[in-house]
Amino acid sequence: MAEKHLYLSLIPQALIGSMLEPEAFGSYYAVGAKAHVKGEAIFFEVDPAFRSEDFPFHLMDERCITQPDGAPKRSVYLSIYRVLSRIPVSALGNLYLVTNDGKTLELPRSVYLPEPGGRLHLYQEFCPITPMVASRSEPHDFCNAITDPSHPVHVPRLVFSELRIGELAVDPQNGAADDLPYTNLAHLRDVLYELKYNDTKPSKLVLKQVKEGVLYRMVQGGFYVGDQTDFAFYRFPDHDELENRYRGWWRSAQVTALE
Amino acid sequence: MNEPVFWIAPIAALLALVYARIFFKEMLRQDEGSALMREIGGHVSRGAMAYLWQQYKIMLAVFLALAAVFAVLAYHFHVQSTWLPATFLCGGFFSALAGYFGMRTATQASTRTAAAARTSLPDALRIAFRSGAVMGLVVVGLGLGNIVFWFILASLLIPGSDTGETHRMVLITTTTLTFGMGASLQAMFARVGGGIFTKAADVGADLVGKVESGIPEDDPRNPAVIADNVGDNVGDVAGMGADLFESYVGSILAASALGAAAFMHDPSLQIKAVVAPIVIAGLGILLSILGVYLVKTKEGADQKQLLDALGRGINSSAAMIVVVSLVFLFLLGMPNIWGIWGAVIAGLVSGVIIGRSTEYYTSPSYSPTRRIANQAEGGAATLVIAGIGVGMLSTAIPVLTVGAGTLLAFLFASGFDASQMNQGLYGVGIAAVGMLSTLGITLASDAYGPIADNAGGNAEMSGLGPEVRARTDALDALGNTTAATGKGFAIGSAALTALALIASYVEVIRMELIKAGTTVLQLGHGGTVPTDTATLTDFMTYYSVNLLNPTVLVGVMVGAMVAFAFSGLTVQAVGRAALLMVEEVRRQFREDPGILQGTSQPDYERCVAISTLGAQREMVLPAVLAVIAPVLTGLMLGVAGVIGLLVGGLSSGFVLAVFLSNSGGAWDNAKKHIEAGHHGGKNSRAHRAAVIGDTVGDPFKDTSGPSLNILIKLMSIVAIIMAGVTVSYSWL
Repeated sequence: MAEKHLYLSLIPQALIGSMLEPEAFGSYYAVGAKAHVKGEAIFFEVDPAFRSEDFPFHLMDERCITQPDGAPKRSVYLSIYRVLSRIPVSALGNLYLVTNDGKTLELPRSVYLPEPGGRLHLYQEFCPITPMVASRSEPHDFCNAITDPSHPVHVPRLVFSELRIGELAVDPQNGAADDLPYTNLAHLRDVLYELKYNDTKPSKLVLKQVKEGVLYRMVQGGFYVGDQTDFAFYRFPDHDELENRYRGWWRSAQVTALE
Repeated sequence: MNEPVFWIAPIAALLALVYARIFFKEMLRQDEGSALMREIGGHVSRGAMAYLWQQYKIMLAVFLALAAVFAVLAYHFHVQSTWLPATFLCGGFFSALAGYFGMRTATQASTRTAAAARTSLPDALRIAFRSGAVMGLVVVGLGLGNIVFWFILASLLIPGSDTGETHRMVLITTTTLTFGMGASLQAMFARVGGGIFTKAADVGADLVGKVESGIPEDDPRNPAVIADNVGDNVGDVAGMGADLFESYVGSILAASALGAAAFMHDPSLQIKAVVAPIVIAGLGILLSILGVYLVKTKEGADQKQLLDALGRGINSSAAMIVVVSLVFLFLLGMPNIWGIWGAVIAGLVSGVIIGRSTEYYTSPSYSPTRRIANQAEGGAATLVIAGIGVGMLSTAIPVLTVGAGTLLAFLFASGFDASQMNQGLYGVGIAAVGMLSTLGITLASDAYGPIADNAGGNAEMSGLGPEVRARTDALDALGNTTAATGKGFAIGSAALTALALIASYVEVIRMELIKAGTTVLQLGHGGTVPTDTATLTDFMTYYSVNLLNPTVLVGVMVGAMVAFAFSGLTVQAVGRAALLMVEEVRRQFREDPGILQGTSQPDYERCVAISTLGAQREMVLPAVLAVIAPVLTGLMLGVAGVIGLLVGGLSSGFVLAVFLSNSGGAWDNAKKHIEAGHHGGKNSRAHRAAVIGDTVGDPFKDTSGPSLNILIKLMSIVAIIMAGVTVSYSWL
């Protein structure tokens, strides 16, 4: 009997029960059973012992069972709305990044060491909202601020990553930016400039919604999930490590989609 | 043969084949790698051979049919050389044989190069380059060997005539020119068919594999990946080899024919002038073999050191031919030694400048390609506009170089006396020979490219370690540079060869007029001149070849149009063949989900077969256009119209070839520049624009551009072959 897994998908949000191992689930979730679709995915493995009144876990016993033909059950959706906010960070296991092509990279939790301040940051949020935000705050402080319920604009819990901005991190006005892939670089410069020199706010919106998917090549540090009480860091391998240890995933992650 | 130095040529040709065999055997002794590497290599090798076999079957039918037509024209209508059916078949056969050896070597060498890269960069470079040298040496060995064979045979069998020994030598050299027809038509099939095959596979693999399904380059799940690898060999080994085989043979034959015409007044000088280009080519072979041994590098070499290693071999051969050809001309006792030597230098230097110009306009190390990459930030439209602009501008240096090289060669060889038209044109022929004299090693560097590229693909598909891929990537990057330079060299040599062939055309017309009984030319104003002693200027006067003659002007315009129509046909052919490939890859993905999941193997052979059939079907019309245009023009507009056609075709075809090759190359490298992390790198908006530009440029740089080289030479050689028909049946 195959083990049952719980997965928290972030794009789109869903809590899914499955008898597939994470890598097989990632492939299935991205390209489907017949590989006729494609689409990036990010998901956490959730502690299988996690239980909550918020979700119909009885469906796991009823439906997440071996199929009559002997095949493992691939997916049983338990919820598709406000899922992240109802699962504590402590219940989240490894993070899985899945390419369009269905290749899965596993990221275990790492120790987070805050970086000394002084530079500017750019964050791509994945769940529950998907904007791009510039900030003076390092990741932990940023997460604290955005999940602060006393602030009118907040979310209960957030998954995000930091993106490289090269020289703009210290010199938004004159720093070289030609090789950055972000749309509307002039606007990004303006926002960073305001943050550095004028604005009193710690963070400013750069883009309401990122449509290009995950810019893995630009990920700096790694991925973060947190709220007011808990914070977890998933280190993203550096480019050499990606090239040498995770080449299959890395090559797939860099394929350009034209549509 | 009265000139003992002549025997250098057959010895050199033989040595080229001996060394090709040595390098081939040496390559076969190398480790072929793991079972998976052998399996992948086997797919590519079988695909390449299946393509060649299919192409050769079609060619055999076409060649036999045309040989029958030529036989009827020669033996029944007496408007054709009786040698043509045999020389035509022979030219085609040996060009095809060179392509076969080159492909067989390249496809087997790529696996062994990948296997060697597991432990050593110098070993991998040595295997890849010496395997490329097999193609280079087989082309020059078979090319020069055949020229020598037909020259000796013609010397033995063509009897002397009433007009004396000098007239006989003109007849011998114009007869051996017919060998070029078979080589030229084979080259057309190889270049156009190979170009369509390679781009149909490439575009099909990219569009469905990468863009639609999101799987990376060289991924074994892509059904078209083997066809793509086969295409690299079909286009850049067999296609390029046949192209340069034709240029090599054509330039030597044309120079000999022009030499025979230039020194008709002195039989002892005439034979020296005929022999000189043949022997210079032979010396070039010997120095090419020497150059191959100079290509070596050390472990951990960077890109510049690898490039230096290749440059050492090529440049040393070129430098040595400069010195050796001067010594040879002294020993031969040619008149105006320094002038003829100057023509050799003019050709060599022109080749180097065109190669450098191509590199400047297409390499991401220089500003033109970087500017195109910069324009990618504005989207696909601005990138395409920028690429077209760079491609157009890039025509200036090659055109001016060939122009300057032609003029200098003409002036040097004529002793700066423009009235010495025949000697001057002989210089132009010698310049073409000079440019191609070290073809053995320059073609080795071209054929090396797909071997290194396929080795990288094999390493990727076999899942070899990062250090191995780093080595194959370094070799592949080097191959990209040599390929760009090689394309420029092929275009430049084609232009110079075509020019020499056009000049030879008049000599063939002389022979045909004499054969048709026209012993005296009426020059107007009551003046006459005997046909056998008439100068080129007399022929121009006789046929009213001047720019005010409407038949010449119409010929020029038709020639220019043919180059564009031919390009249009080949570009459209790629589109159609690629669509078939796209549908096949989609079908395989749709019908077998296990392919994308990596649990079942795609049907690689089916994709190879589709590209093969697409290429065979689509290459017919462009080839027919190239053959039929000079024939119809000759019948409708006469000799003046044909000369106009050839000049128009050469002018527009040469410029268009440079434009298409360089714009396509620049788009390709602009994409690579962005992928290296500039302008947002992979997946950025600029990259998406660059991918579109690269796809648009694919048929430009690898199908239409290189095929135009053949068009301009094939039209000249068809005009030469059909000169008898033109003289006898022209309506004007």
